[in-house]
Amino acid sequence: MDSELIRRYVYAVTKRLPRKSREDVAKELNTLIADMLEERCGQVLPTEKDVRVVLTELGTPAELYDQYSGEGKKCLIGPPYYATYLYVLRIVTICALIGTTLAFALSVIAGERENYWFLEVFKWIGMLFSAAVAAFAFVTALFAFFYHKEIPLDGSTGLDNLPPVPEKRDRISKGESIFGIVISVVFVLVLLCCPQIFCAVTENGEVYPVFHPQAIRGTWYLIVFFGLAGIAGEAVKLMDGRYTRRVMITVIVSDLLSGICASWWLLGHELVNAEMIEALLGYTQSNEVVRILFTNIQLLLWGLILVVLVIDAVTVAVKTGRTEEREEGK
Amino acid sequence: MDHDEIISGLILELRRGTLILLVLNQLQKPKYGYNLVKELKEHDIPIEANTLYPLMRRLESQGLLKSEWDTGEAKPRKYYSITEDGRIVLKRARENWTAFSGKVDSLLENGEEDSNG
Repeated sequence: MDSELIRRYVYAVTKRLPRKSREDVAKELNTLIADMLEERCGQVLPTEKDVRVVLTELGTPAELYDQYSGEGKKCLIGPPYYATYLYVLRIVTICALIGTTLAFALSVIAGERENYWFLEVFKWIGMLFSAAVAAFAFVTALFAFFYHKEIPLDGSTGLDNLPPVPEKRDRISKGESIFGIVISVVFVLVLLCCPQIFCAVTENGEVYPVFHPQAIRGTWYLIVFFGLAGIAGEAVKLMDGRYTRRVMITVIVSDLLSGICASWWLLGHELVNAEMIEALLGYTQSNEVVRILFTNIQLLLWGLILVVLVIDAVTVAVKTGRTEEREEGK
Repeated sequence: MDHDEIISGLILELRRGTLILLVLNQLQKPKYGYNLVKELKEHDIPIEANTLYPLMRRLESQGLLKSEWDTGEAKPRKYYSITEDGRIVLKRARENWTAFSGKVDSLLENGEEDSNG
């Protein structure tokens, strides 16, 4: 009897089953195959052909594995999440590509040029590729999480929870979210790739970068986190398409995290180039107010970011409140 | 139009629904998998071993069947039998099936009379 073929077959079926059932299934399959061979050949010793016939009757190892592995979730992202996943993925990818191209264009304008034009093109294609892969990975991981944790999508949990058709003023326009995502991508890429784009030029033509490139690159994780928090908020807006409670909570949490991130970034690190401040102060020696402003520029920036985040959070909260009021009124 | 393909698909669907009922019913006495395959075949209900074996494991994990290895014979065999929960499920499912198949039969008979008359 060709027991090697049987061994291979049983191994192929069981190798990806959960460890605890693997041995049991293998033992059961071996007996089953022996029974089937006995049925076929009686007391005569089975030939290789008999073994092949019996194994073919049992089906391919992949089919049998499929039966044994049950009816659980066999895919990464299945219905009803798949349609929304494709929708969000398409938009986020397009945004990432636009954002990358803008950031690339800015870096070229800022003078980060290669020696040959085709090297520029290669660099651009490389950046596009990385951006597309990152967008794909981020959105896929997000939806795989939703799918496997069964986090309900809007309108997927029965008739009573069907969302109302939003009035025009209650809708979040796709353009708004796309703009938000593009801005986040540009922000992250420009700061990481070419922070020297922000610079002050004196009358004598001396150029002072506003930030220490080293300090900026050293805090890359905060910048990336800041960008991702913004993208997550916009992704949920795209998913729901109107001001729902979930949009509100996501945006407020993302604003809060961004605020913490910005505080850590601007208060805990020396990011602004002191030489630039010195040079600028040289022009405005007498003015005390300007001097205070310039020497505390990080504090100023921090305040500005916090104000923007608070305005964003309050706007979303108010809009959600109004939308809910109108929907309850119906 | 390929009638055979449609009919075989339909029969497969119909069988799939009744298979659990049959398995629970036949396992009121302990049996091993291939034993059950042959037994059903004798009743003109051919079930592939590659469908039945995984199904019995699934019913076991749902608590409707229990199993025990018998290593006393030449080949080690896993015997399955119905549990108390399995009996409750079988009873209710059987009642449902009887009522439902009765109604389907009577409708189908009416349909035949209509088409004949």
